[in-house]
Amino acid sequence: MNILAQLIVSGIVVGMIYGVIAFGYQLTFSTSKTLNFGQGEALTLGALVGLSLVWFLTARGLGIGLAYIVMLPLVLMFGLAQGAVVERLGVRQAIKNKSEAGWIMATIALGIIFRNIAENLWGRDALKFPSPLPEIAIVVGPVRIQPMEVVIVLGALAMMLAVEAFNRKSIFGKAVVATASDRDAAGLMGINTGLVITFSYALSSMAAAFAGVLIAPITLAGATMGGVLGLKAFAVAIIGGLSSGLGVVVGGLILGITETFTGYYISTGYKDVPGLVLLLLVLALKPTGLFGKAVIKKV
Amino acid sequence: MLKVTNLVAGYGKVQVLHGISLEVEKGTLVTLIGSNGAGKTTTLRTLSGMIKPSAGSILLGDREIAGLDAFKIARRGLAHSPEGRRVFPTQTVADNLLLGAFPRLTGARPKNDVMADRDRMFALFPRLAERRGQLAGTLSGGEQQMLAMGRALMLEPEVLLLDEPSMGLAPKLVAEVFSIIARLKAEKITMLLVEQFAAAALEVADFAYVLENGRIAASGPAATLKNDPAVRAAYLGAAHASAHV
Ligand SMILES: Nc1ncnc2c1ncn2[C@@H]1O[C@H](COP(=O)(O)OP(=O)(O)O)[C@@H](O)[C@H]1O
Ligand SMILES: [Mg+2]
Repeated sequence: MNILAQLIVSGIVVGMIYGVIAFGYQLTFSTSKTLNFGQGEALTLGALVGLSLVWFLTARGLGIGLAYIVMLPLVLMFGLAQGAVVERLGVRQAIKNKSEAGWIMATIALGIIFRNIAENLWGRDALKFPSPLPEIAIVVGPVRIQPMEVVIVLGALAMMLAVEAFNRKSIFGKAVVATASDRDAAGLMGINTGLVITFSYALSSMAAAFAGVLIAPITLAGATMGGVLGLKAFAVAIIGGLSSGLGVVVGGLILGITETFTGYYISTGYKDVPGLVLLLLVLALKPTGLFGKAVIKKV
Repeated sequence: MLKVTNLVAGYGKVQVLHGISLEVEKGTLVTLIGSNGAGKTTTLRTLSGMIKPSAGSILLGDREIAGLDAFKIARRGLAHSPEGRRVFPTQTVADNLLLGAFPRLTGARPKNDVMADRDRMFALFPRLAERRGQLAGTLSGGEQQMLAMGRALMLEPEVLLLDEPSMGLAPKLVAEVFSIIARLKAEKITMLLVEQFAAAALEVADFAYVLENGRIAASGPAATLKNDPAVRAAYLGAAHASAHV
């Protein structure tokens, strides 16, 4: 019983990370029917840029806690900029040309380039990301949980709720929702829908970068940290629903918990398997339906 | 207010409009009538920038807008209530109206009192007032049509384009829509109205153009065209009589 509760809690922590990345997939899909397959690399870059900032700030005498807090908004801005670059370089032209394969290849290629850049700047080895909070587990009944794990869950929820609130309450958020439901009609409202799509890519990468600096203190930071996370979160996004809603959180949690159970009852060596099997299943069961009805209609 | 000269446009390689010219003077209601497939919707889409003309000029006031992106044209004050209504189904009636005022709320057009204007829309379309918190996708066809018109009016437009506001509506609602158009005309809102119900459109309009196969086939004061034998034969036959208000 004790171990069950512990596995569930640990699963929730990882699951929230999947949820955040999948949420990012959703953001671009809803506005443009395209995805950033370099989402995992956006996470990697966010974590590594965050790590360098933390190094820089602590070297100038800031405590790690304060350094982490100062680093956060800077990493979020970096994520926004990185996502905007991906959209401008890889996606905009493909959307204009209505090219199905164009954005897929372009975002994959950009992801590989970003990974190479990360390898060159930060090396191939995984690096320790100093934890902003004490690495002493809090004991709650049968469950031991790291303070940073609590931050992950709350931070991930707060970020997604903030985006939802922005979409519902602000006129710019309403413009994003309008663009998602009918791009041409949104244009008639005077909404610059091209800019909205750029913005959704920016937000999507920002979410991934945020996930990167959330998870790095409890794992390690390195050039390859994002790749598998991005793939598994893609499966989560397909299962949870690509167009909208918080189904991605549920999907993320289910996958996270399945993984910790697999890790405990079978072998930690197989802990990535459920997510990748899920991905294979998704691809097998929805081979044409992944990117919406448009693809099916043409057949 | 709106002056179109030799406009050529289409879809891909298919040319639909073969050089049309028309003019809408400030404060007047002009109607563009013609049978199904004549190119009426294509004309409005080209005016509002949803499709780009391959030749010709569109002056809004004294500024050329041909070839601009739709969002820029909207910001210059051209509102378009499109064919098929195209309301935002997952957003509320109130939010749909606010989105119509997006350029005013974001500094691209004079702001004035957006909330007061929204209340005016609720007065003009009482059905919408009752449903202000409802998602637009759950409205009936007639209500969606009113929302699309209200949303376009929220721009405080220089010119309002209306594409078949009566399409698919029950006769009673058609009459309601036309009485609202008459009210907007009395308020001196400059309008270009596209209609298949030519009789009703000619009844309310000041001036009319007849579009046939992407060309202007006839034009003149609405009262004159209404009595033109050729127009009567082609567009005011028995099939259209039910549209009388
Ligand atoms: N999206 C489109 N793609 C290609 N052809 C179109 C499209 N929309 C309309 N057309 C064609 O353009 C012509 C004019 O259509 P339209 O402007 O919708 O006419 P109307 O509004 O007068 O009924 C028709 O022949 C129609 O088939
Ligand atoms: Mg039409």
